[in-house]
Amino acid sequence: MSGPRYNRTRRQDQRLVAFECQSCDYVSFPDEKRTCKRCGDAPATFEEVQLAERGEIQTFVVQEYLPDDIEVPQPLAIVDLPQADGSGESARVYGLLTETELEELSVGTEVVARFRELFDDGERPINSFKFSVPREVKR
Amino acid sequence: MTDAHVVGSGIVDFGEKYEWSFDDLLEGAYLDLVESVDHGINPTADIDAIWYGTLDIANEGSSGAAVAHATGLFEKPATQIVNACATGSDAFRNAVQAVKAGDIEVALVIGAEKMLDSTEGLIGGAALERLWRGRGVTMPAFFGMRATRHMEQYDTTREQIAEVSVKNHENGTKYPHAHQQFECSVDDVMESATVSYPLNLYDCCPVTDGACAVLVTNDERSREFTDAPVRVAGYGFSTDSFMRGDDLALTNFPASRQASSMAYERSGYGPDDVDVAEVHDCFSITELITYEDLGFCEQGEAGAFIDEGIPHLDGEKPVNPSGGLLSKGHPIGATGVAQIAEIFEQLRGDAGDVQVPDAEVGLQHNIGIGRNATGAVSCVNVLER
Ligand SMILES: [Zn+2]
Repeated sequence: MSGPRYNRTRRQDQRLVAFECQSCDYVSFPDEKRTCKRCGDAPATFEEVQLAERGEIQTFVVQEYLPDDIEVPQPLAIVDLPQADGSGESARVYGLLTETELEELSVGTEVVARFRELFDDGERPINSFKFSVPREVKR
Repeated sequence: MTDAHVVGSGIVDFGEKYEWSFDDLLEGAYLDLVESVDHGINPTADIDAIWYGTLDIANEGSSGAAVAHATGLFEKPATQIVNACATGSDAFRNAVQAVKAGDIEVALVIGAEKMLDSTEGLIGGAALERLWRGRGVTMPAFFGMRATRHMEQYDTTREQIAEVSVKNHENGTKYPHAHQQFECSVDDVMESATVSYPLNLYDCCPVTDGACAVLVTNDERSREFTDAPVRVAGYGFSTDSFMRGDDLALTNFPASRQASSMAYERSGYGPDDVDVAEVHDCFSITELITYEDLGFCEQGEAGAFIDEGIPHLDGEKPVNPSGGLLSKGHPIGATGVAQIAEIFEQLRGDAGDVQVPDAEVGLQHNIGIGRNATGAVSCVNVLER
């Protein structure tokens, strides 16, 4: 299940490459598709944009009930990642959090994307970004 | 064009029905429906078509033919509808459309789900299936994220969210078909095990098996079955995604706003006209948000809305008198059909201990989460006495 998907978005997952709709400025990450999920442009014209590594938590939960092989508590957030050059809209992404104290989490917390192993699919590790509170703002 | 009317309903008690096969559930709801029709029905002669709502969690094979076999209603078109947690409502909506179009005179709408036949039920299954695709988003997490943001943005309190569960469990003790019949306090909710902060166990609906059926027909045939048909005044269905960057989607469900706008427009009724509502409360926060999405209160004021007791059984606008999904349970394909059945009873004055006095206009609402746990579907039906 995760193998093909992993390969399809490997470059985006590893380099924070996203795709900006030229009609409505929606930024899609990690998917690059041919239709726009906001304005419905079909076919849409997307241009590659580079996302910054730092973003802001929009909302979050801390998952306690998960299948046995997944470590809990598992914090999860919606993070807005701005574009690296400061232009245009942010990408809104789901992010698992790591190396973060639960008390540090709130709406508006700044987080940084770290490349980590997410899961393994039984045969190999699945790597992508997790987010953590940057060290210098940690108390 | 003819109107569509609900003229009968049948249900099997929701619960842990290990000993019931899928066919038993369908047969049970169907027989209860046949017996409910005031002036009687000759089902094989009268029923023209069947709409069957199920996600088929138990993997019994996907086809409307399952109903034909379970009921003996052969030689008729039977269609399975799948639309996430709004499956039952959408099955109903499709039948209503066919009746209104004049193509079908009498339709059976039936929904069923065996949630407990999979190893862990839906939440476990969803977690395993979607962990990678949705980057770790399980159902409680998906809804819990709205709770976190709603509390932050509107100063909604954790206690106000818990109050939804307290209300619905209290109602559920008075509703004969509810799965979990116990009362709980705000403290009980707050002290129950954390599932996904900020939601605890008592903020979540149970894993439940069940089936429910309703009979839908046109103007001409309705009086043949009952002197008290319930008219389908309007319906709406819409979809949206969390990830389109709409900030409203962080706290609310824009699809519910779209679906209810359509239903209000078609019916000529607005939120103020609704006397009783059965809405989707898979989690306590879902119902709280739904007050705003359906226009029962202003954006950000859902906490105050429940604090004032407005959605309570004896309040100004009772919501989920049946106990909702939180108490009644959420056998996905049956859920929306059971909500329609409850509104049908309410508008006929047949709702027993949970009857809302003089209810004339009722609203039913289902929301569901689609692929990648990012998309939402929402269905709203408005019925009138
Ligand atoms: Zn666009």
